[in-house]
Amino acid sequence: MTPLCYKALSLTGTLPRFVYAILLWSVMAAAASAHASLNTTEPRDGSVVSTAPRVIALTFSEPVSPTSLKLTRPDRSTVTLKNFALKDRTVEITPPDLSDGSYLLSWRVVSEDGHPIGGSVVFSIGRPNADAGRTVVDIDWPVRTGLWIGKVALYVGLFFGVGGAFAVHWFANGSGKALRQVLATLGIGFAGALLSAGFQGLDAVGEPVSQLFAPAVWKAGMTTSFGPTVIFAIAALALAGLALASGRGKDARWISISALITAAFALCLSGHASAADPQLLMRPAVFLHVATIAIWAGALLPLLAEFRKGGEAAGAALHRFSVFIPWAVLVLAVAGCVLAVVQVRTPAGLITTAYGIVFLVKLGLLVLLFALAAINRWKLTSRSEKGEPAAIRQLTRSVAAETVILLLIFAVAATWRFTPPPRTLIAEVQRTAVVHLETSKAVADVRITPDRAGEVGISAVIAKSDRSPLDPQEVTVVLSNPGAEIEPIRRRAEKGRDGWTVPDIVLPISGRWRLRLDVIISDFEITRMEGEIEIAP
Amino acid sequence: MLKKITTTAAILVVGSTAALAHVTLETKEAPLGSTYKAVLRVPHGCEGKPTNTVRIQIPEGFYGVKPQPKAGWTLGKVKGTYAKVYDNHGSPVTEGVKEVVWSGGNLGDDEYEEFVLRGTIAADLKAGEMLYFPVIQECPEGLKERWIEVPAAGQKASDLELPAPGVKLLQKAGN
Repeated sequence: MTPLCYKALSLTGTLPRFVYAILLWSVMAAAASAHASLNTTEPRDGSVVSTAPRVIALTFSEPVSPTSLKLTRPDRSTVTLKNFALKDRTVEITPPDLSDGSYLLSWRVVSEDGHPIGGSVVFSIGRPNADAGRTVVDIDWPVRTGLWIGKVALYVGLFFGVGGAFAVHWFANGSGKALRQVLATLGIGFAGALLSAGFQGLDAVGEPVSQLFAPAVWKAGMTTSFGPTVIFAIAALALAGLALASGRGKDARWISISALITAAFALCLSGHASAADPQLLMRPAVFLHVATIAIWAGALLPLLAEFRKGGEAAGAALHRFSVFIPWAVLVLAVAGCVLAVVQVRTPAGLITTAYGIVFLVKLGLLVLLFALAAINRWKLTSRSEKGEPAAIRQLTRSVAAETVILLLIFAVAATWRFTPPPRTLIAEVQRTAVVHLETSKAVADVRITPDRAGEVGISAVIAKSDRSPLDPQEVTVVLSNPGAEIEPIRRRAEKGRDGWTVPDIVLPISGRWRLRLDVIISDFEITRMEGEIEIAP
Repeated sequence: MLKKITTTAAILVVGSTAALAHVTLETKEAPLGSTYKAVLRVPHGCEGKPTNTVRIQIPEGFYGVKPQPKAGWTLGKVKGTYAKVYDNHGSPVTEGVKEVVWSGGNLGDDEYEEFVLRGTIAADLKAGEMLYFPVIQECPEGLKERWIEVPAAGQKASDLELPAPGVKLLQKAGN
């Protein structure tokens, strides 16, 4: 126990550097901004029209030719519009038959001077459909299955693989007996991470499995909150592989613990639990939960391998594991309870929601798992350490069973991806996304209510950098979704008593949106404040 | 497909030239310490509406400014104190025009016009840097086109949506 703590402490110097390096990878290149000169549109941007327009007309300040015209329909599907005519400075688009609901036309054109410019026009037929998307959307089972398999495989890689590399170095003294098994799980995890990114993209843009290899789909997948998870998960798997390849010794131990921390970090970057408030409690809880599961689950394969191949090392490894694991399980359980309480909120939520039922199934499996673990710990461990063949036989069987149960738990937990937690169902009506923006000239707190696709309201409180009052002349809200290839939607904000507001703007799809406030501070002074927000489905 | 290729080719060929849709200065370079005639070119109105007012902010370091009156437009000069004292043939200059306003005109969206002013570029500015003249076009219904963005460090003028017209400062002539 003591040497372990000591090692962990001495790591604090190298670890930040590690995390920093990984962070650098994930920095994405900023897209060049466009020079917009759209004069008018028909239907007008943000309008509600009673009948479907026969023609959508975009009039520019000079002649242009379109390079991309994409229409996002009320069911969030996207169609590329090819049927258009150029009339002087006007692009006249003949859309397919349009039913009632909200539409977003994302346009990109190139003007005579060679500048590509882009933007979006949102209009609604009949009435804005805040909810049409959620009722109309069919469940795409192949995509769902792919997402689930990817997630389970990712869990196998992160828990058995990364945890395995940790166990090999911290419990089994760098033994190579479980090398093949652990490497195999890392491979599964790697495949799972890649698969998840693709299917996440399909889910984000609502495309069928046949579009899995389209670059836009992967781009969309990586721009959801799951993108950083994939990057960090792959980094964790790679680090674990590196730890296995580094043989015995201090370096390998350090690398294996970096892998574990990276894995835990990866999973606390996305998911229902990480998204819940209070963030300062939830994210660390997810981190600890994941890290301790990996320590437990990861030890099983190496322990099995040790006992299969026999020798005294097996007893020593088991001893080290059994001394440390109660503490890990304590942290695991406490973190798990915190997550459950915040997510489920009320006891009734356990039986009335899909999320709660998944939780109960997982809980049932956990009880089984703890029963097995208790038998191992109090009945078999000390006898196995002494090398009693009967006890060892029973122990290996029981550890194998534990492994299977863990796998089942991963499979169950992966279905949470598809069930909104009761917390969100309770709060769904008025959940607000909040983002803080900052430049050298100003700060802004922007609230988007509700934080899900459909019709939303935006409000912004703007102040000078030193928090003293700022009274801008104009504020424009610009929203775009580069991942889903949605060009900027612009809305002039209105000045109200509590700041600047855009009362109704339709965000047709969920995912990570780029938000920008263009603030005219004084006649000749502008500041553009940028940030990102996650819009729920 | 052919359209796509030609469009792409068009972007590649002319993509590097300055956008014609912006308000720009005719003379793009001027030596330090020289008299500079700023010819402001206004190519269009605001979202299809005519321009009624053109305002130009005079940057610090451009002094002794005299705008050229324009038929059909009312000329306004906003005067103020300079941040520094400038030298006008031996006599110190501490204040002058800080903003020029041409108002009351009616420049159609499909018309082109030039606005002219003259002044001296301070000799102690840095050669190689840009001197920016932020401009605002005002149109009916409160519409405005602002050309007021100055590139931050590491940014190019072409990255900006609303670039302010600017002039590149050259070494002092005769040095």
